[in-house]
Amino acid sequence: MSSRKLLGAVENPTVEEAAEFIKKALSKRKALVIVGNCWVEYKGRASSKLKPGERIVMIKEDGSVLVHRPTGYEPVNWQPPGCLFQTSTSDGVLEVRAVRRKPSESVRVFFDRVYLLSAYSLVDNGEFSLYASEEDMQRAILVEPEIVESGFKPITYEKKVESGFVDVYGIDTDGKLVVVEIKRKTAGRDAALQLARYVDSVRLTVSREVRGLLVAPRLAKGVQRVLVTLGLDFKALDPRRCAEILSRSETRRLEEFFGENE
Amino acid sequence: MFKAKMADAKLLKDMISAIATLIDEATFDINSDGIKLRAMDPSRVAMVDFEWPKTVFDEYACSEPMRMCINISEMLKLLRRTGKDESVELSLDEKTGRLQLTITGKYVRSFDMPTLEAVEEEVPTPKVTFNVKLKITTDGLSQAIEDANLVSDHVRFEIDKEKMVMRAAGDIMGATIEIKKGSDALLDLEAKEASKATFSLSYLSDIVKAAAATSEVATIEFSTDMPIHLDFQQPKEGKLTFYLAPRIEVE
Repeated sequence: MSSRKLLGAVENPTVEEAAEFIKKALSKRKALVIVGNCWVEYKGRASSKLKPGERIVMIKEDGSVLVHRPTGYEPVNWQPPGCLFQTSTSDGVLEVRAVRRKPSESVRVFFDRVYLLSAYSLVDNGEFSLYASEEDMQRAILVEPEIVESGFKPITYEKKVESGFVDVYGIDTDGKLVVVEIKRKTAGRDAALQLARYVDSVRLTVSREVRGLLVAPRLAKGVQRVLVTLGLDFKALDPRRCAEILSRSETRRLEEFFGENE
Repeated sequence: MFKAKMADAKLLKDMISAIATLIDEATFDINSDGIKLRAMDPSRVAMVDFEWPKTVFDEYACSEPMRMCINISEMLKLLRRTGKDESVELSLDEKTGRLQLTITGKYVRSFDMPTLEAVEEEVPTPKVTFNVKLKITTDGLSQAIEDANLVSDHVRFEIDKEKMVMRAAGDIMGATIEIKKGSDALLDLEAKEASKATFSLSYLSDIVKAAAATSEVATIEFSTDMPIHLDFQQPKEGKLTFYLAPRIEVE
């Protein structure tokens, strides 16, 4: 089997073919999925036995193991990252053994039938963001405009202009119109240029002075210069802070009152 | 050694369900005078303050002060099995750390449950000067809260010298509930100044529903945009009070 073919899926292999596939996938640290009829023995801090049944077994690139039944979101057996694996066959049964040294524990998964095998090198650089989205940042600015600039008063949001939609549109203490562009992550050149286009479109429709304000957690390298050239301002704003503002705007904490009247 | 017996198991069941509205794990302070608990809910929006002197129990013995932490929802499951005219007895086996709960009625059943590691957390009292104090029947209060609950998830209390008004505004419906001083529900009302505050109905409704089972009359105190203090007067001795933080009004 070529390594290229390994990056794929095999249906209904014999246990010997499956063992071969799994060995290669594990040695190359692929994300491996095995669907089949299996039983599981665990020994370590406790011991458990799982009687035969049709299940989905996942072995991830970091050596974590998950045995999933057809229902429920939690695995029935699992091992944390860093397992060592042994794959063998005997009498038509495939055994995948995952061993961890500290604490000493092992999970042995036995298959007598394998329906599907798949192994892929997966690339996943996506950030998991638990904090505020761009929309939440926008809401937080509307709830508490001071976070972008003292005295800033929002007039509207998602305002349609010729070149797109302005995130927040308001007025500053000097009476100038402010076009706010929000980015959840590091703002690059594109964000600056996009804001410049919005500011230009707004300038065509009003006779007042118009400012552009880029709001983001930080600026990418060299973007500060671009902003200066385009005559735009920047305000650093952390999405986490926005999430806090939004949660505060609901129910307050009792702790806030422990120190009152002192 | 800790041992306590109550001839009417319902009292304990109702009290534990009132406490369980806010917390899952409860650390009780137990000494020769009685048992106490003060805790905040996990989101730290509300607080329960509970006290039972030993006289509430029919038999009570505690050899030395201790803290006992138990999973209160598990305990409630056991207490829900109690029926009419049944008594309940609690006793802690310090060697095994297990709490034994014996329900005696037509027959005797004994459960035992583990105690957990006690959490060392001192919960202070919110320092609030209250401008409004009112006495209301728990029945009247829970009815009014259920009315508000039909239309919204929060309710605004507006109180002046004459009346208490509860306003709830939901996405499509609104409600105004007015209880005048001297009505059958509102027993007493003192207002130093007119005060308004908004509270989450999910908390308020759970607290009031459960606590109303233990009490006929509640004393409510609050001030504008300050926590509300609900004191559920106990038929025997003892204390069951709650604090609930207000919501911030986003206009």
